[in-house]
Amino acid sequence: MATRTLNKSKRKEQSEYYFDYSLLFIVLFLLGFGLVMIYSTSSYEAFQEYNDSAHYLKVQLLACILGLFVMMVVANIPYHFWEHFAVLGYFLSMGSLFLVKTPLGVSSHGAARWFRIPGVPLSIQPAEICKLCMILFLACLICKLGKNVRTWKGIIVMGVAALPHVVLIKVITNNLSSAIIVLGIAALMVFVADPHYRKYIIGGSAAAIAIAGLVYAIVTADSTDGMNFRFRRINIWLHPELDPSDTGFQTLQALYAIGSGGIWGKGLGQSMQKLGFLPEAQNDMIFSIICEELGLFGAVSIILLFLMLLWRLMLIAMRAPDLLGSMLVVGVIGHIAIQVILNIAVVTNSIPNTGISLPFISYGGSSVMFLLIEIGLVMSVARRIQYREM
Amino acid sequence: MLDNNNKIAHRRKITIVTLLCMLALVALFVRLVYLMVWRADYYAEKAVELHERERSIKAARGRILDRNGRILADNRTVCTVSVIHNQIEDPGRVVEVLCKELGLSEEYVTKRVEKYSSIERIKSNVDKEIGDAIREYDLAGVKVDEDYKRYYPFGELASKVLGFTGGDNQGIIGLEVIYEDYLQGKSGNILTVTDAKGIEVEEAGERRQEPEKGRDLVTSIDMNIQAYATQLAKQAMKTKEADSVSILAMNPQNGEVLAMVNVPEFDLNDPYTLPEETTYTTQEEYQNLLNAMWRNGCINDTYEPGSTFKIITAAAGLEEGVVTPQSTFSCPGYIVVDDRRIRCHKTAGHGAETFVQGTMNSCNPVFITVGLRLGVEKYYRYFVKFGLKKKTGIDLPGEAGTIMHKMEDMGNVELATVSFGQSFQITPIQLLTTAASIVNGGRRITPHFGVKVLDEAGEVSEILQYPVEEGIVSEETSETLRGILEKVVSEGTGKNGKVEGFSVGGKTATSQTLPRGSGRYIASFLGFSPADDPQVIALAIINNPQGVYYGGQVAAPIVRQLFENILPYLGIAKEDVGEDDATGNQS
Repeated sequence: MATRTLNKSKRKEQSEYYFDYSLLFIVLFLLGFGLVMIYSTSSYEAFQEYNDSAHYLKVQLLACILGLFVMMVVANIPYHFWEHFAVLGYFLSMGSLFLVKTPLGVSSHGAARWFRIPGVPLSIQPAEICKLCMILFLACLICKLGKNVRTWKGIIVMGVAALPHVVLIKVITNNLSSAIIVLGIAALMVFVADPHYRKYIIGGSAAAIAIAGLVYAIVTADSTDGMNFRFRRINIWLHPELDPSDTGFQTLQALYAIGSGGIWGKGLGQSMQKLGFLPEAQNDMIFSIICEELGLFGAVSIILLFLMLLWRLMLIAMRAPDLLGSMLVVGVIGHIAIQVILNIAVVTNSIPNTGISLPFISYGGSSVMFLLIEIGLVMSVARRIQYREM
Repeated sequence: MLDNNNKIAHRRKITIVTLLCMLALVALFVRLVYLMVWRADYYAEKAVELHERERSIKAARGRILDRNGRILADNRTVCTVSVIHNQIEDPGRVVEVLCKELGLSEEYVTKRVEKYSSIERIKSNVDKEIGDAIREYDLAGVKVDEDYKRYYPFGELASKVLGFTGGDNQGIIGLEVIYEDYLQGKSGNILTVTDAKGIEVEEAGERRQEPEKGRDLVTSIDMNIQAYATQLAKQAMKTKEADSVSILAMNPQNGEVLAMVNVPEFDLNDPYTLPEETTYTTQEEYQNLLNAMWRNGCINDTYEPGSTFKIITAAAGLEEGVVTPQSTFSCPGYIVVDDRRIRCHKTAGHGAETFVQGTMNSCNPVFITVGLRLGVEKYYRYFVKFGLKKKTGIDLPGEAGTIMHKMEDMGNVELATVSFGQSFQITPIQLLTTAASIVNGGRRITPHFGVKVLDEAGEVSEILQYPVEEGIVSEETSETLRGILEKVVSEGTGKNGKVEGFSVGGKTATSQTLPRGSGRYIASFLGFSPADDPQVIALAIINNPQGVYYGGQVAAPIVRQLFENILPYLGIAKEDVGEDDATGNQS
């Protein structure tokens, strides 16, 4: 009796609507953990490059604060407000891709993937804008299509909507991984929107067989065959030690880091591989340094945190008050899940090497900022859920 | 907005998507467990390999000892001075000190100090005292590492036998090469953890893998005999103005070489310096001159043995039964073989003589007759049986093979010349070994230096074994021949080889070198003692002596002097000359 009255009074004090504190804490924890690991992995290189061991930490911290601020703003705006900007965002994000080719563009590692807003210290990766805008646009499109999503026509419309971004990201910024992520997000959203199964099972199986067949063909191909050159990336994946100079080198170094961590790790700050051996240690490869320093337990903790995050997002997606809210959260689930899975798969050499950052943890200002905006959107959806729904 | 059916389908799909993603994460977790638990050791080891920089610590090379335990090749501690560019604080001072202490030009040192490299060697093989002195300055960025250098206490004695080592302490010639595996040891490492740019990570400290010392080699050389023989050889070379003199002394019973002298020798502690008056213009010429200087004539070069080879012809003839000591011959001063007239060295002829007398006189027609009685085929069979066609297998590098006619190309004329030691070539060690095997009762021994290998504690870790081939001639033939050869020394051409109180068997040789008529001769004498139970066999070869060039007069006295000294030294009991029943004993 006592508890019931207590609950009742508590409910009355708070708003009638739900704010997902668990989600907030998981995100905050991931951000904090990411900052610690960025400092640990980058301090050595930062000191050598910028004479300031906290250089990367500072940049990332700024992005996090900015992102958290925007996240809270977005969380407090009803998400239906953004419906009006879906089409605009779709085209603006597409246009932003071209900015990297203008004088505002910033190149790094031989690829132009960023642009700089004059007067702001952060450079922005337009591919990140595209991911956000694609989620918003597709969610709105699915609502518009209504019952048509279950027809082939509807599916084709959605596919055609996603395609320009995918192609442009690959062609203009030469960023295969972001293109794959956008495509993946779109595919997941279509799959969820359409209540049918069979065509997806058939399509998925066909794709799996095709990939397996391709890999088999490459493995058995004669070394003099042209296949070897064209699918170099896949050959390196299968035999990273054969290409110790380039991509294979990074993969090998990541494996050395992961393997030498063992069960308990070397201890925070004790990584050897971050001392210039592992390229992009604080960025795409940060997970391998986590493994090296914190061991299997540290790695498992991170995986568990992401599992919890996905769980919370799933609950919100299922209880969203309407289709738009639900589809927005599904898009965010897709975005985060795909990146986490691909990132860990790359550093463990489970799939061919391609540059994908680990959400909330890898160094990268625009990535973390746009992820936080997406979390803000999710929170906005969550606020519309009434307590009886949760 | 959503109808209920749709909502349920929709929720199910969200669950499926999320669960699929979770499943993928769990699969990756399994992959991580595999990498971090099962493969952890493999990758950790690889990573350590990558992070550690090695500085090797040289292992002390095993020593080479003579049969009495005297050290012939030793190690001396020397230092290697290097600079580490990143750690130098005062380059000016470093250059100044290194120039002063090492006696190097300022330009040379400055260039190395200023070179950007992880570690730059300034000078190696620096004396320990100088190294210590440099260490005293305590200059940042200057490293003095201790190291070993080969040192040969006896300088040039047995230089062509022992050989020397190169910059990495590896054998270059001689025993140092052949026994490399025993002597070498295993170098250790100092492992330092570095970052990707090679900068040491200080907290990580160093790990040392201790070097493993090489094993000592005990040889059969007796340095006293070697020293005395060298002295004799030098003396002969000087008085006879010869090009070179070689002296070999061996135990004919087991093939242990007691001394191997090839004068001129060279200084093992300074093997790259040619004799003073030598001139050369090109680098290639210099290298050729060095190779010539290092050449071991007893093993690497062949020559026509001349009359000493009559021992072999005699052994074949006696063994086959085509001649006995009592067989009689007649020497008119020449012999006609086919259409060729071959002269005896005594143009007037030796007249009628027995085989024993013929040997004492070193009469060519006698041996040609013996050779012809055997015929090409049989003679050739003995040549092979005695081991003359193959190498002796001595434990020194570069042994030359025998240069001999092909059997099918051999006619009577060739056979005749071979019978008295001409028209083919063998190495001195081959001649000595074959003669030793004939007089020791017919056991073909393998000449060798290496006797045993000692471990670090000085205990025997391996006794080296050499093949012995029994029965190349019968004991009877061997004994007969010993008697004949003793006569050669006591009454014949080898009488200058006689040693007071010891019975000596032997044979002289004087061979004209090719091309004939050049006036160049090789005088040699092969002797053994005691005659009835040989304990020492020696061969002296004087290459191109001036003035008197007869083996009996030039070479035999050398072996005599050698025997006079070493027979008592080896503990061989004196006997009354002429009595055959005394036996020698080796201590």
